[in-house]
Amino acid sequence: MSQSTSVDIAVAPEDTDRALLYGFVGRLLQTAPDAVDLKTLSGITPDADDVSPIGDALRKVTALAGEVDEAALKRQYHDLFVGLGRGELVPFGSYYLTGFLNEKPLADLRVAMSKLGIERAEGVKEPEDHIVALMQMMEGLILGNFGHEVPLSLCEQRTFFNDHIGKWASHFFKDLAAQDTSPFYAAVGELGQAMLDVETEAFEMIG
Amino acid sequence: MDKKTPDSADRRNFLKLAGLGTLASGATVVAGAAEAAAPSQDAGTGYRETDHVKRVYETARF
Repeated sequence: MSQSTSVDIAVAPEDTDRALLYGFVGRLLQTAPDAVDLKTLSGITPDADDVSPIGDALRKVTALAGEVDEAALKRQYHDLFVGLGRGELVPFGSYYLTGFLNEKPLADLRVAMSKLGIERAEGVKEPEDHIVALMQMMEGLILGNFGHEVPLSLCEQRTFFNDHIGKWASHFFKDLAAQDTSPFYAAVGELGQAMLDVETEAFEMIG
Repeated sequence: MDKKTPDSADRRNFLKLAGLGTLASGATVVAGAAEAAAPSQDAGTGYRETDHVKRVYETARF
């Protein structure tokens, strides 16, 4: 493991893996991978013996990264998430939970963020309950990159996950997996879905 | 503060079997991909605000 984050002292290997996967899914959704990214992605070789849903989905993502063309993917990304006024999918917690943006789920998230020492960067206007922001938050909380500068305990991670991600993000990833605008992003949806399933089950094990 | 929580062997094994480590072998490659993506922040196209969310939460500290 050669992640050179400043804080990696107290993070268990399996938790580093979790953080890595959150970061990975977040980056795939942040902006359409360009030609260089796609080449890199297609070069990742997931363990062939891994028959888990995460392994399956990851193999699809890396295989499709080798097939899709940069411009086509950029268009697909635009249709899915940007659109004319609105994309096919609206990846915000508040929207999934209430049907509207900027409702109470966003306010609740902001309270949690403030307690955890997470602040929106200057110049970012997008609401914090965007799926990408939440993936980044989980990554940072697991690694201890925020205000407290130590990894958040698993119990606290579970609380954050259940309150702000578990209730809706599966539905989003399911929608992403089901759309037929972009096979690549359908695979990303499967990966996100598989990751959340594992997270949900693993959080139930911490007693 | 209980930063080191009792992490059961069950959970650890479960995560391993669930394929959480599948990506780990490609870790450095993936990080490289993110770096490569960083400079391509052209104005006015794509998913504007989200492009800018990039890493901001990771670096926000008090």
